[in-house]
Amino acid sequence: MTAARLPRVVLRLHRTALIVWTLFVLGAVAFLVWLNEVEADRVQAQTTLCRHASTYCANVFASLDYSSPMGWISSVVYYSFWGVAAWAGAALIGRELESGTAQLAWTQGVSPTRWLATKLALPALALTVGGTLFVFVFRWGWSAHRDLMGDDWTFNDVFAARGPALVAWSLCALAVGTLTALLLRRSLPALAVSVSVMVVLNRYMEKHRTDLWPNTPTDRSRHPASHFWPMNLIETGILLTIAALSTTAAFWSLRRRTA
Amino acid sequence: MTDTAGLAMEAADLGRRFGRARLSPAWALRGCAFQLPAGRVCAVVGHNGAGKSTLLALAAGLLVPTEGTIRVLGTDPASARARVGFVSQEKPLYPQLTIAETLRMGADLNPDHWDAATGERIVADGDLDPKSRIRALSGGQRTRVALALALAKRPDLLLLDEPMADLDPLARHELMGVLMSQAAQHGTTIVMSSHVVAELEGSCDHLLLIGAGRVRLSGEIDDVLTAHARLSGPAGTPLAPHTVIESRTTGRQLTALVRKSGPLPTDLHPATPSLEELVLGYLRNPGTSVTTTSPSEKAAA
Repeated sequence: MTAARLPRVVLRLHRTALIVWTLFVLGAVAFLVWLNEVEADRVQAQTTLCRHASTYCANVFASLDYSSPMGWISSVVYYSFWGVAAWAGAALIGRELESGTAQLAWTQGVSPTRWLATKLALPALALTVGGTLFVFVFRWGWSAHRDLMGDDWTFNDVFAARGPALVAWSLCALAVGTLTALLLRRSLPALAVSVSVMVVLNRYMEKHRTDLWPNTPTDRSRHPASHFWPMNLIETGILLTIAALSTTAAFWSLRRRTA
Repeated sequence: MTDTAGLAMEAADLGRRFGRARLSPAWALRGCAFQLPAGRVCAVVGHNGAGKSTLLALAAGLLVPTEGTIRVLGTDPASARARVGFVSQEKPLYPQLTIAETLRMGADLNPDHWDAATGERIVADGDLDPKSRIRALSGGQRTRVALALALAKRPDLLLLDEPMADLDPLARHELMGVLMSQAAQHGTTIVMSSHVVAELEGSCDHLLLIGAGRVRLSGEIDDVLTAHARLSGPAGTPLAPHTVIESRTTGRQLTALVRKSGPLPTDLHPATPSLEELVLGYLRNPGTSVTTTSPSEKAAA
């Protein structure tokens, strides 16, 4: 028996979301490249000019032209998992259960388990590929012009965007959104609940990030830069565990309801 | 006991409850038992909320029974998924897809047994443009697309929940013809629920009457009809030992619908009821005891 071409159907149903995500990631990456390859040189020239000027210099804040969009990009991409949670809860699963279209797939020979597996695997793949690409480009861009930036690695967005935690946040949002939608079976409540859960989880994690790895006893307030990787990996591990538990619960609740 | 291979649907002590066990448990269906031989066109009738949709959703594998079992095409509903077609009352379709994309989805999901020509013909017969989006269609047009999707799947068992409700009389007649020819050509078993009894008379040969979550009557329509009689005579005539489904006394005149047990007194002018009279009689009198014609009982009769 030929296997049903379910991935193709899922892609056709969610092509708008895929296009939006692709443009979002490519746009962010392109902006990063432009900032570091073109804008940074211009800003650098102006600040050097100011440093040697003896009189009033109009470009004293020129470095903001570079550092402010750099901060914006990492923040927007980092917090895009709110959008992922909203989309997964409302559009990917919630709307299908609310309008009954999920049942259409289930009576076209696709088992509910396979339907959910495909519905989760394809977005997870897109989020992982897009997120990983961004992380690599951001790591390069962020370290390229440290003299123009006022931030450091402990800033919330920088911390997440320089490691796998960025991808883990979006995967966690996907799983939480899916579970909420399966439990609530309505798109709008699922959207509200899954975004709220992710915002609360995010606030909590950001507050307790410094506790993820033991600090040196001499200096309790600041982590050395060498703590970045263990901290980022532990946060990634926690988020992926939550994602795995949510996914298991989602499959369990679906299996319990349907044959 | 029975040849299960020849059964399209078989339920034993089937029950489905909605809501929490302790907080207001509501049984949509309970203690449901019946057998439907393959190749039949079966009408499922009952009040609104009698449990018809729940029964069809259980057979389609969209719900799991709270108790009892249901088997379709000789196996469990999950394993029969590829061979069962289902159109629910709401006819859910993806609003963002076009008709052509919807049919292509059916082809993608049923790679081995997709009859593209049937799907396209049903859509074309309704003068629908394959390029129009589902969200732009009327209720009746959507029904047509949903039926095209279910029929092009070439199912062995087709479950239809109130399929004709929002079709105009012409489309209703035409699509009923499409369904009947499908049943005749491919031996498809069709199970359709409706509360328009007139719509079912003439096209269905098997009846499943559901009331208050239970099967109240099931069997071949001809057998069911001949097992009952419409009586009229002087008031006060004893009707025992026959089971009275419905009786009414107007002045000195008694009219009754009974389920026969033994020969009938000729002074009560016994006549075979129409399907509509029979169904209405049962529906008006939900208190009457459960009566089921099983195939074995029918064979003995």
